[in-house]
Amino acid sequence: MRNTRNNFIAALIVVFMAVTGCEAPDQEIFDEIPNDVALSTTDPTALQAFAVGAYKPLVGTWGAHNSLWSMHEVASDEMAITHKGADWEDGGQWIRTHQHNYLPSEQSIGNGWGYCYSAIGTINNLLKNFGSSELLRSELEVLRAMVYLWLIDAYGNVPIILETDTDPTPPTKTRQEIYAFIESSVLDNIDNLNQTKTYATVNYYVAQAILAKLYLNAGVYKGTPEWQKAADACKAIIDGGLYSLEPNFLDNFKTENAGSKENIFVINYDKNNGVGFNMPQMTLHYSSQATFNLQQQPWNGYASLEEFYNSFDPADKRIGSFLAGPQFSSTGVRLTDLSFEPTDPDGAPLTYTPEINQLFPNSLRQAGVRIGKFEFQLGTSPDLSNDFPIFRYGDILLMRAEALWRLNASSTEALDLVNQVRARSWAGNPLATLTADALLAERGREMFAEGYRRSDLIRFGKYNDAWWEKPVSAASKNLFPIPQGQIQVNPDLVQNPGY
Amino acid sequence: MNKFYFIIRFVALFLFLGTSVAFAQKSVTGKVTSGDDGSALPGVNILEKGTNNGAVADSDGNYTISVGNNATLVFSFVGFTSQEIVVGNQTNINVALESDIRALSEVVVIGYGTQQKKEITSAVASVSADQFNTGNVTSPASLIAGKVAGLSVVRPGGDPNQSPTLRLRGITTFGGNSEPLVVIDGIVGASLDNVDPNDIASMDVLKDGSAAAIYGARGSSGVILITTKSGKSGKGSYANINYNGFVSIDQVANKIDVLSPEEFVNRGGTDFGTSTNWFDELTQNGSSLTQNISVEGGSGNTSFRGAVNYRDNQGIVKGVNFQRLNTRLSVSHNAINGKLRLTLGLTHNDRDQESINLSAFRYAVIYNPTAPVFEGAPDDANGGYFQRPLFDFYNPVALSKQQQFVGERKNTLTNYRVEYDLIDNLTLAVNYSTDKETGLNGSYWSKKDLVTGAGSLGQARRDTYDNSRRLIEATAKYAKGFGDLNTEFLLGFADQKQSFEGFAVQTRQFLYDYTGFNGIDFGAIRNGSNTEASSYASEDVLRSTFGRVNLNYKGTYFLSASVRSESFSGFGENEKSGIFPAVSAGVQLTDLFSMGPVSTLKVRASYGVTGNLPPASNLAIASFGPGGILDFDGDPLTSGDQYVSLRQLRDPNPTLKWETKKELNFGVDFGLFDGRLSGSMEYYTRDISDLLYGVNIPTGAPNPFDPINSPANVVGFAWANIGTITSSGFEFSASYSNVKLGPVNWTPSFNFTFYQKANIESFRIGDLGPAELRLATPGSPGQNNNEIIRNIPGQTLGNMYGPIFRGIDENGAYVLSTTNPNDFVVVGNGLPDGEFGFTNNFSYKNWDLSFVFRGAFGHDLYNSYRGFYENRDPGSNTWNSVVTDKTPYVTSPPTFSSLYVEDASFIRLDNLSLGYNLPTKGDIFSNVRIYATGQNLLTITNYTGIDPEVRYSDSENGDRFTASLAPGLERRNTYFTTRTFTLGVSLKIK
Repeated sequence: MRNTRNNFIAALIVVFMAVTGCEAPDQEIFDEIPNDVALSTTDPTALQAFAVGAYKPLVGTWGAHNSLWSMHEVASDEMAITHKGADWEDGGQWIRTHQHNYLPSEQSIGNGWGYCYSAIGTINNLLKNFGSSELLRSELEVLRAMVYLWLIDAYGNVPIILETDTDPTPPTKTRQEIYAFIESSVLDNIDNLNQTKTYATVNYYVAQAILAKLYLNAGVYKGTPEWQKAADACKAIIDGGLYSLEPNFLDNFKTENAGSKENIFVINYDKNNGVGFNMPQMTLHYSSQATFNLQQQPWNGYASLEEFYNSFDPADKRIGSFLAGPQFSSTGVRLTDLSFEPTDPDGAPLTYTPEINQLFPNSLRQAGVRIGKFEFQLGTSPDLSNDFPIFRYGDILLMRAEALWRLNASSTEALDLVNQVRARSWAGNPLATLTADALLAERGREMFAEGYRRSDLIRFGKYNDAWWEKPVSAASKNLFPIPQGQIQVNPDLVQNPGY
Repeated sequence: MNKFYFIIRFVALFLFLGTSVAFAQKSVTGKVTSGDDGSALPGVNILEKGTNNGAVADSDGNYTISVGNNATLVFSFVGFTSQEIVVGNQTNINVALESDIRALSEVVVIGYGTQQKKEITSAVASVSADQFNTGNVTSPASLIAGKVAGLSVVRPGGDPNQSPTLRLRGITTFGGNSEPLVVIDGIVGASLDNVDPNDIASMDVLKDGSAAAIYGARGSSGVILITTKSGKSGKGSYANINYNGFVSIDQVANKIDVLSPEEFVNRGGTDFGTSTNWFDELTQNGSSLTQNISVEGGSGNTSFRGAVNYRDNQGIVKGVNFQRLNTRLSVSHNAINGKLRLTLGLTHNDRDQESINLSAFRYAVIYNPTAPVFEGAPDDANGGYFQRPLFDFYNPVALSKQQQFVGERKNTLTNYRVEYDLIDNLTLAVNYSTDKETGLNGSYWSKKDLVTGAGSLGQARRDTYDNSRRLIEATAKYAKGFGDLNTEFLLGFADQKQSFEGFAVQTRQFLYDYTGFNGIDFGAIRNGSNTEASSYASEDVLRSTFGRVNLNYKGTYFLSASVRSESFSGFGENEKSGIFPAVSAGVQLTDLFSMGPVSTLKVRASYGVTGNLPPASNLAIASFGPGGILDFDGDPLTSGDQYVSLRQLRDPNPTLKWETKKELNFGVDFGLFDGRLSGSMEYYTRDISDLLYGVNIPTGAPNPFDPINSPANVVGFAWANIGTITSSGFEFSASYSNVKLGPVNWTPSFNFTFYQKANIESFRIGDLGPAELRLATPGSPGQNNNEIIRNIPGQTLGNMYGPIFRGIDENGAYVLSTTNPNDFVVVGNGLPDGEFGFTNNFSYKNWDLSFVFRGAFGHDLYNSYRGFYENRDPGSNTWNSVVTDKTPYVTSPPTFSSLYVEDASFIRLDNLSLGYNLPTKGDIFSNVRIYATGQNLLTITNYTGIDPEVRYSDSENGDRFTASLAPGLERRNTYFTTRTFTLGVSLKIK
């Protein structure tokens, strides 16, 4: 009897164990907000946060190392990252970039793509969930068009991904198709956009600036120029009257530049809340830490080419875009570099010389003037708070001037616009006539380090020319390669010709 | 020797005479011999049972002891089976002791039970305490380094705060857990930190898939079962006190050769006018103290053991040390005529540690040898230390003093076990255990620390974490014999919940260094770079059902089959449970055939499937984490409109599941000469598929695993089950007990393993997965983008790729086979072709001597000290250079090539220990032993870096998931190796 009961208990326990063992446990989340919870909100503040948050993925490439910005700048005649002995060899990436031998495997090529498409993914996820608001939808679609503007310029032939798509391997579209997509995205939405001034978000004038850049480069992007449309888009911004030239050029790039009258759209960097703008680290010599009381030792990387620097007249206030000559600590003590090379002409005292002895392998570590356009606040962390201008009124004036000049080489309005920009920084030296070289040089002086030089060189047909230690390059190099890492995981991507 | 022995015997005799007056009623004499060959056995302990009355056999094996009426004598000696003899009327008792042949009767701990060694049908190795490595061993895993074929226990460098890396049969996973599962007294998944080496009675290693399959989705990397020492019931009322204490001295065993100050200046280096040996400034002779005391006893149905361990280890580097207090209590109680058995185990581990920034080692190598340590007053900006504003050039002594890293860790392990024999042959058991670890860390970077603190004006950090695991297991075991067939059935259920919580705070900009991390609120800046305020919390659940059948027919044929089903909360929605089956069988051939001197020959074969869990439990779920702060009006002064934005944290994979390892093992267990020579051989092949790895997916595109419901890819990276790797190996181990070398007994044990290194079959799943994985850049300066390891499908895992070094030209520049990365060839591989261990135990009378040689061969190491600092940097006249016999005169900037890849095969005298057992007399001591041990005494290798030890994983770049894919790199932060000398005493008090 007793044995039977015990057998029964034993059987019961075994059945209990078998049953509970089969039940699959759920995963609880504690320190994150699951998508279904976050996206089901109706709180207007949370919705606003999602809308403003759409811009967050844009923070972190313009002015950051190993980024799309690095590629645009180092591939141009503005800047190089030389090999300083062992330092900055880094697998040869920066020499390849400067000499237009970039490979699909370059880290910055992959980073640039990831940056753009991560933003597109974020925007599409928001459109999918909050697309019913017309204003939000228009703003997000134009923002997405801006990201495609970066993609068409850098990679050319890329996939178009909409929020409604379900194909996990979206195929490559031609540069012409991308052009049409950007244009229609902006035109379909521009009239819904806010026409008042906004800070670091898309409004009507940002949309016009996107069109202006697209049309100005239409000849490059789709094969047929759209100079009149470019001029018109710029005019819409000028006529809007919301923006004007800052009297002092460099004020547009200072630490607290949120009040700039000139900046139309900026990437909102902040040392605490929007990080990645690491210019002091990227460009300054180690010893310059003492000039700006930097929190961390800089890396001694990016420097400007001598010929480019020499295109600035000493009387042109824009020459303040560089740090050149003897360097001093914040308390006025002459800085020295104890590990100077024996071949350094002025020895240990730290002097940023315009001349760079060579691109590699043993570039002098003090050689080359440095990028000083963006203010380095005393005691700054590696992350600057200066907002990075994407569209700036000064650029709009030069763009309209160029478009008008392309339509009519003797356009007086074009000449006036260029001289308007020039007069602000270089009083008493107006141009008498406009030539291609003069326009390109003026754009160089005005737009240095803002990430447009490569695009300008291509438009002016100079990108494939030889300069300094960069030989003549093939026209196929006008497009960056599609990143190796993306082609590996998306078989429907097509590599650009020449790679 | 004889003279000494005579004195001991004289003293013993004297004591004996002294005590005999009171107790002796009768004298017994006799001779003890070895049952193997009849030779005399000196040093045998003879004890009158139930008393403290004892004697020791002399050099001829003769003894004399006075005993009371009805006495029973116990004869015991290391390496021999103890014998008890009732004296009765005898006055002359000659005894022949039989060799203790472990292999015949050994009980092996397997998952959820034990088996006789002869019944085992899978690859299991068992190491008991008397075979453990000795000396200052702080981690349990190091006890069995070199003892188990196929198990690598490596701790490159000599950092006392670094745990050894364990690999069983090589690499099993990239993204999962690559360290074996640890089971302490049946507590699955317990942390090794819970147990002090002094408290371990035996360690068993489940090597093959079939043995580990009972642990299912956590068994792929192997299983180590630890059995701790415990009190014994049924011995009547007793209590013993054991004490073991030792002191150790650590010395620097190997460092990097650099130019002397004169050579440095002659070469053109900047002369700062003094001469400093930076190694000496950074290091010291570290001293350590270890104390262990335990009380073991029992009475009636209850037995217990309590132990306290204290360790204070000072490393060879000033400022690197730890103190650990480990207390442990286990109590067992039997009730209801032994049908109900209760066990309680409590362990508490309290550890304080201090560490430095390991970059100090690198700077100690390259810092200017003519620079002084100090050049100013302590109040100066640099704290008086010599510093210069040069790239990556910091005074190593200043760095070691001005950055402070302190941690406290507390582990508590509790285990309650109830066993009840419900009916005949059926035992139910329930285990409840909790394993909790809390940690509190503090870090401070002084205002005067040029590396970090000066820029941030002092920086302080505190972080704390609380990890806990709760496990409930219920098992039913039914064992019954049916004629010649013995059967054992096991059914079990387990439910485990783990939680991980913690937070961190970091502030900066201090007026005074005085408070350090204790006064974190003295930091003015609490937001932005170099600051932190963060927290995390996660939880996961693992539910399992398992069963096993063991069959034993006539003690000749054995069969075992098991299955475990695992449901993990972190698996994807559609992949909630994995099934892990195993089967193994063996036959004892010596029961079927007469084989002469072969006393045992068992052949066996096994097949088992094990798994590995995803590295985090939330990888299948889409969720948002905190992004940057939003400011709606763009005005930072109005804070009412500021919120943290939501950032899509990851691209989820709702199809994520376990990794699968299928392992086939063939084994032979043999014994010759009545089992005195015994050993085993194993051959295994492994096929690991559905490897867990983070893969790139098209950024911005719809989710490849669930394009409709999951959000579009924002990160461009998801965890997935990709690819397959295969490997195989051959293991051999053998031991011969008590070889007679005259009066000396010698027990050699030898094991070796040949690996066929892991081969990558595939990395792909559909369109996803990398075509190849390039990893491990040497680093800054200048070698940031050139990965030196390429994992390519079809090739061996971890191949190093680079140009071949062909020499140097007339200008001293490299002549390399190519500079085009596409033309690089395989220049090395960090995984070994094989490893071996050779343990020797000698006993002579009361003396014992043991030593362990251990080695690995066929592996290469990238010597990054040479790779960066051998060449004279043309720009810098301040860095010192590494000089070895492989150093050519090169003027080029350093670039990776075959020049810096060295064969690192080595043989190391890991351990040498000499002990003496004092003959004891009287009421107090039953055992007194004095011993001296040297660790890492000798290394034979051609490698010129710090430590030729195999590097199974890389610490420097990449993350913990790529670490296993980049073997063979000796990084510049490697802690110098140490040589340790230990002197200790252990006592057993009756």
